Amino acid sequence: MSPMLEVKNITKQYGEGEARVMALNGVSLVAEKGDFIAIMGPSGCGKSTLLNVIGGLERLTGGEVVLEGQRIDTLDEDAFVGARRGKIAYVFQQFHLLASLTALENVMLPLVLAGTKSDHQREALAILSKVGLEKRARHRPAQLSGGEQQRVAIARALVNNPSLLLADEPTGNMDQKTSNEILEMFSRLNREGQTIMMVTHDPVIARFADRVVNLKDGQVVNGSN
Amino acid sequence: MRLHHIVAKDSLARKRRMLFAAFGIVIGIMTVVGILTVARSGRAQLYEQLERYGPNLTILPAVSSLDVRMGSLSLGQLGVGENYIAQDKVPVIREITDRLIRTSLDIRVPGPIATVAPELYATTQVKGANVMVVGMDGEAQRAIKSWWIVKEGAYPAGNDALVGHTAASLLGLKVGDEVVIGKQVTMVSGVLDETGSVDDSQIFLPLTVVQDAVGKSGLISAVNVRALCTACPVSVIADEINQTLTGVRAVAVKQVAETEMGMLSRINTFLLAIAGITLLVGLFGVVNTMMAAVNERVRDIGILRAVGASRNQILKMFVYEAVAIGIAGGLAGYLSGTLLAFVIGPLIFKGAPIGFVPSYIGVSLLLSIVVAILASIYPAYRATKIKVADSLRSL
Repeated sequence: MSPMLEVKNITKQYGEGEARVMALNGVSLVAEKGDFIAIMGPSGCGKSTLLNVIGGLERLTGGEVVLEGQRIDTLDEDAFVGARRGKIAYVFQQFHLLASLTALENVMLPLVLAGTKSDHQREALAILSKVGLEKRARHRPAQLSGGEQQRVAIARALVNNPSLLLADEPTGNMDQKTSNEILEMFSRLNREGQTIMMVTHDPVIARFADRVVNLKDGQVVNGSN
Repeated sequence: MRLHHIVAKDSLARKRRMLFAAFGIVIGIMTVVGILTVARSGRAQLYEQLERYGPNLTILPAVSSLDVRMGSLSLGQLGVGENYIAQDKVPVIREITDRLIRTSLDIRVPGPIATVAPELYATTQVKGANVMVVGMDGEAQRAIKSWWIVKEGAYPAGNDALVGHTAASLLGLKVGDEVVIGKQVTMVSGVLDETGSVDDSQIFLPLTVVQDAVGKSGLISAVNVRALCTACPVSVIADEINQTLTGVRAVAVKQVAETEMGMLSRINTFLLAIAGITLLVGLFGVVNTMMAAVNERVRDIGILRAVGASRNQILKMFVYEAVAIGIAGGLAGYLSGTLLAFVIGPLIFKGAPIGFVPSYIGVSLLLSIVVAILASIYPAYRATKIKVADSLRSL
């Protein structure tokens, strides 16, 4: 059986000629179902780019990304949207919730966009209670604390039952206590079988993962497994 | 929740920008509806006047050289030199007119139906000034010019004269004054109220008086026919008179009116072209606002893409917004356009009743939705081209 995610020798180049920057320079890694991987490194090492390339937010320059046996880096933009739905979900450092929608509506968003025939509201409420926010469902992001907003973002990421959860510095904007709550939640989700790939620069945070991939100058430096 | 709910919620959160976007369309639609409404009422008024007043048919000598006008309508040209119609053609004209109306409307009652009013034009000197004198059949003339109001004195009987409003004030003529034409001396029995037509500057006398005075016995300059019905076969009557009688030219006033209408519709087209340009300017205003909207929403678009929106869905959201702007702009444009017509209509067509034209609601909506969608195509396209990772990059 093929691994859940296989990243093969990928490169990502920004700019041309003199201004050329290799953000990723031959990165390979494998994630199996149930993994909790931390991608670590100093800022500018290419860790966010790696996540974006896997999540399809950026196109790569070379190499392959294979998700559940399907090569996704060669898909065009529209096909990619379909391939990613229900498979990859994102949690950002800045939460990235839509300010005009309530917490509940933000969580419903992926279901609405995917056009599933299910009861979006009921599903979204169930996920919101899973992250402990069912009482805040009708609040708008501006009325929620940072930790609460991130829990809404996590709920939004989980609502489509993704195979892989990508998180880019998910606790970067939080105090210690809130940060720990969020990380505990990731651990819990992982224990329940959720595959997670998280970018961080903080070794303390990386300890929540069961595997750490160190990046430096666009290359994997530890290759640890 | 559906895609359009997301749009609606976001739009409501940005009311001001939505209003700006709609404003460009409102101005354009307002101009279009205003012009259409005013033109429509003007046309209706013109037709109404044609039906209510004046002859349906004018018969002139075939050779012509002088403009004859009825109100602001040109009736063609008329020769005043040696070009006259023999008065004995009047009964033939009457016979043709009545016969054709009878046949057409199936009238069996005997007696004359249409009013046939002969006129003879001449010039004379009154108190040292040249004045046009019109010889007329008093009774028939009164029936045709039903809008005449005698302001002073009374409608003339016998050989008395009726003086147009302007002629009376310019020449200082009052009731009881004498008017001399040739060797004939007549007395002013009445002065007309202002009509806004050439009648104001003319003096009206009995036909025989003018004929005798200028030595044109048995001759007339023109014949006005009023059939007094909207269904009368006026063009058919004109055709038959033209075929039967030589030396005359019968013109159906409706045909003249249609020429005038042609002019009106050309002016209309011109105004609508201006309105079109206004709408075009409005369109670019909307493009501008929508571009700003896209830039303002780069992050939101990135979020939507990141949580699974396709480019098509992003495009759709902007189209939904455009349709909403179009509907709002169309309705507001229709209302303000009608209000505009209420304001400027009376300045252009005096006394023309302006009303709401419900069928223009559809026109307004269609036009504004099309404009709004056109204006959104490029901004929406740009929205789909936003690079997700760039749009979400931390600040």
